[in-house]
Amino acid sequence: MKIFCVIPAWNEEKKILDVVNEAAKYVDNVVVVDDGSIDQTVEVLKKTNAIVLRHIINRGQGAALQTGNEFALLNGADIVVHFDADGQFLATEIKEVIQPLINNECDIVFGSRFLGKKSKLPFWKEFIIMPLAHLVNKIILGRTLSDPQGGFRALNRKALQEIIITQRGMAHCSEIIYKAFKNKLRIKEVPITVIYDEFGQSFGGGIRIIKDLLLAKLLD
Amino acid sequence: MLQQYIAIAVIFFFLFRLVWQKKKKQIDSREFLFWFVFWFVAGIIILNLRLVDELVASFGFSSSGINVLLYISVIILFYFVFRIRLRQEKMEREMTKIVKNIAINNIKP
Repeated sequence: MKIFCVIPAWNEEKKILDVVNEAAKYVDNVVVVDDGSIDQTVEVLKKTNAIVLRHIINRGQGAALQTGNEFALLNGADIVVHFDADGQFLATEIKEVIQPLINNECDIVFGSRFLGKKSKLPFWKEFIIMPLAHLVNKIILGRTLSDPQGGFRALNRKALQEIIITQRGMAHCSEIIYKAFKNKLRIKEVPITVIYDEFGQSFGGGIRIIKDLLLAKLLD
Repeated sequence: MLQQYIAIAVIFFFLFRLVWQKKKKQIDSREFLFWFVFWFVAGIIILNLRLVDELVASFGFSSSGINVLLYISVIILFYFVFRIRLRQEKMEREMTKIVKNIAINNIKP
């Protein structure tokens, strides 16, 4: 089985090296999509064996993931893992996230911060942002999962072909959940750990997600 | 009355500008026609404000004609902003496609 790890990166010169080297231990290919970084991210990546795709201008994390997905599909990927470049996820958990796909138990696996493993979320995020994200997903998309905004997930080839990410910003998390249900894919959630060293998604970012989802509803 | 003169002057300015843009081929015939009719109708309305008042009153509005026109203009402007926003989003998607294709095609095998 050919396993790719797609890592979208935007100005991640400080952490990208460790993240790529750790992820590389658990997959066949690491694909970093540099999303128009203006720091030394690309230079740092030259020290690794990662395949580097470059967005000539910044297009957002969702767009970078779709670029990585399409590249992986073109290069015969059976499984693609989505992983963040900021070091918030544990590469050791890649094994647990891809295992249900290897066992053919499902088509898509979502890592969840709210199943068993305890991630220390900032108070306002756990009790304000997350319940709001659940509500928005239910109202606008009609679907939600235990972790509505998680970025650690794995998709098999079928899921990659059926889920085309059109949300270039952070609304892609909700979009992927929605399309997984819409395409009747077999879904599984797996507990993961998230290490927070900064606030992550801001309130303004949350509002932008709602706006993007509403706009997408009008366009699609 | 003075306000009407000013409004007519503004409309003339935009009409001359429109003709100039058409001559310079900065806009196509369809766009020219749309804006020509728009400013022409605006001019007719300005010159017949009393008629507009009567028309508005016959529809049951208590406001003066010019006020109702202002409300309608705001609604139309909102609609245009919405249309532009949708078009902008479509263009953003096209741009993303181009950036994605460049990224994938620039990878050396």
